[in-house]
Amino acid sequence: MKITRERTHMQNDILSILNESEGLNAKVFSLVRLKLLASLASLGPDGATYRELKAALDINDGVLFANLNVLKDMGYLTSEKITSEGKELELYSITTEGQDEWKRTRTWLCRFLHCGV
Amino acid sequence: MEENADLAVPVSPLWGMNMEKYKKVIAFFKELGFAFDVSRFDDRLIAQKLVCLLEFRGIDLGYSCSLYVRGPYSPDLTLDLYSFTREFETLETGSRLNAKEKEAAVELGRIFGLKPVPLEVGATYGYFAIRQDCDPLEALRQVKRLKPFYSEAQIALGISKAKEFLYTPTREDLEDLKEETGIWQRASIKSLEH
Repeated sequence: MKITRERTHMQNDILSILNESEGLNAKVFSLVRLKLLASLASLGPDGATYRELKAALDINDGVLFANLNVLKDMGYLTSEKITSEGKELELYSITTEGQDEWKRTRTWLCRFLHCGV
Repeated sequence: MEENADLAVPVSPLWGMNMEKYKKVIAFFKELGFAFDVSRFDDRLIAQKLVCLLEFRGIDLGYSCSLYVRGPYSPDLTLDLYSFTREFETLETGSRLNAKEKEAAVELGRIFGLKPVPLEVGATYGYFAIRQDCDPLEALRQVKRLKPFYSEAQIALGISKAKEFLYTPTREDLEDLKEETGIWQRASIKSLEH
């Protein structure tokens, strides 16, 4: 009886947290986009090059390029050409909007995960 | 007016030091002759890797270097590079290096210079070998995984420099080296006799 009541309470809690997600951008919720936002949020204005993101996150070119462009189109990332040791590279940085969205998403995810424990 | 102890904000004794920690980094840049320009990607990379290598050598600058997509990196340092850009670019600092720090700066400059690639490879190797306590082969494997865009030669050079900077040879190491190179040294001396 007690277990059933706890389970119902937890389900209600999960539902209420899921309802809170309506304020978030659903397009951010893919593993690759979350990885990219989390990685670039820690670097701030410094950003990371395409080749660094590809190597560290182990994402293939097609998927990485497509998802970086989606995040750019949403205004969460910017990119610029830079030169490093004579080589031209593409540098990606998170925007203020991207930081804000990542903070909201992270807070919500933490609440959701804690709820499931 | 009496101070209310309940309202007093606890201040860490390290607070003052932490506020000033960027000044010590500037003193290192000054010693290395590093003309930092925040708008240059390579300069920001060099700054990060110099600080991480110094931290791995045991110089406590107060910037914790952890692993990010860019290899060992300190977000706190990035924050300070952008908050105190003028000071970093003009090398304005009231801080001085002590003898141990000066020696580390001289070694860092002699071994690595201000070259981004060896610094990046060296700092990444140092992170795995020192911080993660990986054996040399595992540390090499991790460097290759994170920096596949560098050639074998660039990786070998960076790692060799990291070893020279981060490890002080023991008496045993020096004896082994002497034994290993003794044959060539004797042969070389003998050849001069002719």
